[in-house]
Amino acid sequence: MEGVSYQRFPKIKIREVKDDYMKFELRETDASMANALRRVMIAEVPTIAIDLVEIEVNSSVLNDEFIAHRLGLIPLTSERAMSMRFSRDCDACDGDGQCEFCSVEFHLRAKCLTDQTLDVTSKDLYSSDHTVVPVDFSDSAGYDVPEQRGIIIVKLRRGQELRLRAIARKGIGKDHAKWSPAATVTFMYEPEIHINEDLMETLTSEEKRSWVESSPTKVFEFNHETQQVAVVDAEAYTYDEEVIKKAEAMGKPGLVEIHAKEDSFIFTVETTGAIKASQLVLNAIEVLKQKLDSVRLSEDTVEADDQFGELGAHLRGG
Amino acid sequence: MNAPDRYERFVVPEGTKKVSYERDTKIINAASFTIEREDHTVGNILRMQLHRDDNVLFAGYKLPHPLQYKIIVRIHTASQSSPMQAYNQALNDLDKELDHLKNAFEAEMAKHSRAY
Repeated sequence: MEGVSYQRFPKIKIREVKDDYMKFELRETDASMANALRRVMIAEVPTIAIDLVEIEVNSSVLNDEFIAHRLGLIPLTSERAMSMRFSRDCDACDGDGQCEFCSVEFHLRAKCLTDQTLDVTSKDLYSSDHTVVPVDFSDSAGYDVPEQRGIIIVKLRRGQELRLRAIARKGIGKDHAKWSPAATVTFMYEPEIHINEDLMETLTSEEKRSWVESSPTKVFEFNHETQQVAVVDAEAYTYDEEVIKKAEAMGKPGLVEIHAKEDSFIFTVETTGAIKASQLVLNAIEVLKQKLDSVRLSEDTVEADDQFGELGAHLRGG
Repeated sequence: MNAPDRYERFVVPEGTKKVSYERDTKIINAASFTIEREDHTVGNILRMQLHRDDNVLFAGYKLPHPLQYKIIVRIHTASQSSPMQAYNQALNDLDKELDHLKNAFEAEMAKHSRAY
C-alpha cells in the first residue's frame, strides 16, 4: 500500500491585511485543520514577555507583585521569538535565563519630583535589545496625543519612586496568557443561502419586509422598486435560524435553505501587536508542523515492534 | 498549593517517551499510541486524517483526564495495512498539507502586498 496518499491541497484567499489584523478564506480542508490552526495561534505561537522582575525601589501605591504582573502583560515586539531559545533548554546560561539567546533585559527608573502626577508607561522601559521593545500603538490608531502614549504601568505622586530590572523571556500562551500573540482568532463556516424564489413570490410586499427584518443581522435586503428579496451579505448570518423560524411561523417552510459549507472557513485574526497578523498565521503553520514532527514514532519503537511481531508469529505457530 | 506546575502541560518529563506504541493483544492490526504532552490540537487532526485512509477501520483519540497531559490514539486497520503504517502515513500527509498551505499563504501574501 505504499505510494497511496490521502493528502489534501487547501486553497487560501486573503481578503484583508493590516499589521495587526487579517481576514482570509481557507478552503478544501476540514474543521480539524482549521481548529488546529486556531488553537496553535492562540496558545502555541511563541512571543517574548517580561517574566522575572527585580524591584530595587518601589514606593508607589501598587505593591511589587502587582507591578510585576502588569509588566508581564505588556506586549513586546517578538519577531525574534521563533529563533530564540526557551530559557529552560538554553545551554549557554544553564536555564537561569540571563543570556542573549534566551532573554532580554529591561530597566525602568522613574521618580516624581513635581506636584503633578507622573504616569509611568511602557515608554519608560529601556530594553537591552532594540528589536525587543514595548509595542508602539501610536501610529496605527488615529488618536495620538503626544504625551498620552504607551501603556500605563503605575502613577506616581511627589516623592514616589520606582526602580526595577526585568528579564523578558520566550514563552507560549499555554504557559501563561501574557505570551499569547493573539487578541482574537476566529473562524466560521461559509454559509450557502438559497432563497426559494417561487415560494417568495407568494408573499406580499409587507410579508417580505417583515421576513427580511426578522434576521438579527443584515443578511437579506428588500428592494422597494423591484419588490424583490435578495441576499446582500451571506457572511453576516450567525446561524441563529431566526429567518427559518420566521418562515415557518408565516406558514412558508422551506422559504430559505441555509447550509454551512463544511470545507470552507473564513478566518479573522487579530494580534496584540507582538507579531504581525500574517506572520502569526505563518508561525502557526510552522509550529503545527514541528508538533506533528515531534509525535513521529522513534526508531527503537519500530524495532521493538518488529521483534515483537516475529515473536507473535512464532507463538501463533508461524 | 498542590496545583501542578504550568510547564507540566508541555514539557515531556525526562526519561519518558513522547510517543509509545502498544499493540492490542486480542485484535490483529489494532494498536494504541500514547502521546505525551499533546492535546486536541494534534489528536483531532490526526484522527480526521486517519479517517481519510481506506485501510483504517477505526481511528479515535481521547484525552483521559484534563490533568493527565497526554492523549491516546487508537487505530484499527484492515489486514493489508498496519496501525503503525497508517499512523506514519497520516503524519506524512498532514506534513505535506501544511507545506502546501504555507506556500499557498506566502503566494497570496506576495500577491496582496504587490497590490498596494
